[in-house]
Amino acid sequence: MENSKISAAEAISIVFGIFVTYTLVALPKSMLESTKTATLINIIYVGIIALFITFLIYKLLIKFPGDDIVDIAEYLGGKPLKVFIGIIFIFYFLFSSSILLRNFCECLKIVYYPMTSLIFIILAFLIAICVTLHHRFSSIAKVNLLIIPLVVISIIFLFIANIENFSFDNIFPIFGDGLFNTFITGLGNLGAFGGITLLYFLPPYLKEPQKMKKVYLTSVILGTIYIILCVSIILFMFVSLMYTNQIMPLYSAARHIEFGNFFQRLESIFLLIWILQMVCYLCIISKISMSTFKKITNIRDEKPMIFVFALLIFAISLLPKNYAISKFIEDYIYHYMVIIVSIFLGVFLLILAYLKKRKKKELNTNHEQSI
Amino acid sequence: MHIKDLFSSLFTYTPDDKQTYNFNLIEDPNTKAYTDSNLGKEGNDKTKIFPSLTVNLDYLKSKYNLLINSDIIFREFVLNARGKQYNALLIFIDGMINTEIMNEFILEPLMMRNKNNLYEGSQNRVISEAVANNITVRKVKKFNLPNFISSCLIPQNAIKQVSTFEDSISGINSGNCALFVDTLNLAFDIEVKGFQQRGIEKPSNEIVIKGPHEAFVENIRTNTSLIRRFVNNENLVIENLSVGNITKTKCGVCYISGLANEDLIAEVKFRMNNLDVDSLLSAGQLEQLISDSSNLNIPQLISSERPDKAASYLLDGRVIILVNGSPYALITPGILSDFLSSPDDKNQKTLFSDFTKIIRLIAAFITLLLPGLYVAITSFHHEILPTELLFSILASRANVPFPIIFELLVLEISFELIREAGLRVPSPIGPTIGIVGALVMGQAAVSAGIVSPILIIIVAITATASFAIPDYAFGFHLRVYRFVFIFLGYLCGFLGIALGFFVYMIAMCDSKSFGVPYTIGISPLEHVKGTSYYLPPIWKREYRPGFLNSRKETKQGHISMKWKNR
Repeated sequence: MENSKISAAEAISIVFGIFVTYTLVALPKSMLESTKTATLINIIYVGIIALFITFLIYKLLIKFPGDDIVDIAEYLGGKPLKVFIGIIFIFYFLFSSSILLRNFCECLKIVYYPMTSLIFIILAFLIAICVTLHHRFSSIAKVNLLIIPLVVISIIFLFIANIENFSFDNIFPIFGDGLFNTFITGLGNLGAFGGITLLYFLPPYLKEPQKMKKVYLTSVILGTIYIILCVSIILFMFVSLMYTNQIMPLYSAARHIEFGNFFQRLESIFLLIWILQMVCYLCIISKISMSTFKKITNIRDEKPMIFVFALLIFAISLLPKNYAISKFIEDYIYHYMVIIVSIFLGVFLLILAYLKKRKKKELNTNHEQSI
Repeated sequence: MHIKDLFSSLFTYTPDDKQTYNFNLIEDPNTKAYTDSNLGKEGNDKTKIFPSLTVNLDYLKSKYNLLINSDIIFREFVLNARGKQYNALLIFIDGMINTEIMNEFILEPLMMRNKNNLYEGSQNRVISEAVANNITVRKVKKFNLPNFISSCLIPQNAIKQVSTFEDSISGINSGNCALFVDTLNLAFDIEVKGFQQRGIEKPSNEIVIKGPHEAFVENIRTNTSLIRRFVNNENLVIENLSVGNITKTKCGVCYISGLANEDLIAEVKFRMNNLDVDSLLSAGQLEQLISDSSNLNIPQLISSERPDKAASYLLDGRVIILVNGSPYALITPGILSDFLSSPDDKNQKTLFSDFTKIIRLIAAFITLLLPGLYVAITSFHHEILPTELLFSILASRANVPFPIIFELLVLEISFELIREAGLRVPSPIGPTIGIVGALVMGQAAVSAGIVSPILIIIVAITATASFAIPDYAFGFHLRVYRFVFIFLGYLCGFLGIALGFFVYMIAMCDSKSFGVPYTIGISPLEHVKGTSYYLPPIWKREYRPGFLNSRKETKQGHISMKWKNR
């Protein structure tokens, strides 16, 4: 584990990277579809809620220093609960990453490789994952820290370069389909904050646990700003009828960038950077899943599991019969999975564990006083 | 028998099959002709020197295969000391010693019957005398022949008494001579080295504009003296180690005591002391033997022929390894930014050195990725090219019958051939090979429609960029991996290049050099003192590299240019 410790900056970039990856495919579009022109207000609203949840998670996790959610589950309900929670989270990670990979590859196929079978595109990613998973988690975190600035620069560049194409009137009506839709139904957009799930697993990896609060809050704040930036680009560029038909809205926005006669089509450079981010995300998720698996099964070395996990991702990504189904899963099922698994289940478990700890402490205090 | 056959049998020679000379070293590779030799494994056999000269003589004769060895000289003579005569033996290797020193300062003083040698005074010298109850007690010093020989008879600056054959043979092999005297169970290892060697010349592979123009040579002592001249401090320690069971190559581990990290020094010595190899002939071999494992085969030790560069790293707190017979110093640990730095960087103003560093970084990316990107763009991502450029590329490729990958590989491999040929041919012809290869062949290939002109430009830019990498080994590494990216670009365009580059970066970030992360200073993007890729202004270079954990953190005062405050 000593070799897998990561710095605060690396931890922030890992959590932030999860937010970033989901915006690359269809997240901004699905958010815009649910809350229409009120999306910006909605993101600020759900962002504040996500920040509150993050703070709550931090406050609860700090009571169990160095433990992740699987360890805490073991404390709460012994081995059975540890295994149960571990399996749920592994399933969540594998399912979400596989569906995201499938959708990303579908987009790549449509854009660049129409003659290539989807299987080969997915396999290319999986081969890269299999090779990189043999390296330390800290190395993956280091590379992630190098890639994240590139992605952020690409999005900022996308925003600035497209300013001339923006129509700021698109923001109106500012409350979209109404207050209820923005603030109540729009709570479903909490699903965009899937990166929160990773917060439950970070404590054992942190080189400087005292910076946990900074890591957690900074990553969620940065993630919220980033989502606002991505959604703004699409909201200002396309009218609602157009963005619903886009495969990768950010990619479509990139196609509009033009600098004189020489730089007319730069979208493939954006795609190059986003591929880097996608594979990095897959590596991080697979590594966390594997270490969780190692924890619940007590196996000595997780490396033999690399191919098993890669195969699982491959198999799950091929489960949806077509792009429409996998898109539906990403747009709806994934969002609810995030809310149920990472927000409700995780927080509920932490609260229960905290209560148990407090009760135990009280009992000990009473026992000591009676003695 | 025909008349023709009779004629031919009489006047021509037909070799008999049985007598045909047909030498085979091994008939069957699975059968061993000999049992395993003990050569090189007798290193631990520390046989003591015998008091009898005849026994020593026989032992050494068999050791040196004197009956067939032509350059080992056994010089027997009679040694005169304090009026007594002893049989003695000098052993040395012809061609490795200075004959003048041998004759004038060893043989002559030992053999001549001068006053000193013939002095017949009492051999027991009274040191003190005491009388008690009319009894005189005298404390006398006995005559000590070994001390007498080394302190009175041989006027040589470096003389050592050794008690085992291993030590004496090691001295003889390195160019010293060994003196054996009858009745003494020890030998004298006398330094009389005098073999021919190359003088100090200009560096040929690490050329700088403003720095000194001296390079290491093959002799380890010359190299240590070069470093000492630069460091000029008594805390510079040069420890001797020998590597190789047969060659016992002398290696020097250099560090500045009180500055270098003790753990780093211990690790270097630990790795070098735990090498079970028969021979060590160059610094390049040692580099491979003591490097951390890396999937990418990146150079993890800096190899330099410049004493000023070595001294600069020593003063940072790093450890230098010198190998006898190799004009290169190995510098540990080496990190990525070191391989993109030149010794001239510190001799120039910050702006210029940082500018050249940026150029080198771009050169590294071009060397690694440009051909791959070209293949990817022309095969998958045409839209990235402006229409006019796309038309010109298409027009230039119109007459080329080959696919882009074949065209590129032909050119890249041809270029590597020219480069290799340029290195191997005698130096006066080298530039000619370059001109013939690059200009004439390139022009001819374009005219013949084998390759397109745009590809010539791509390969030329890549080649030029590869020459801008200061470290030869790192440049080589990039050149090799360029082919991987060409294939990835051809297979799946930017997707392949992105995935390949990701794996490449991960492997690089995972590498370590003597416990130091290889990419420190670049990633993690944490502030580690003194590790920035770009050089700060000279007044701001206060800290030694933080990853070395040197015993002295700063290398200059907070305000180094104190004259400005006066």
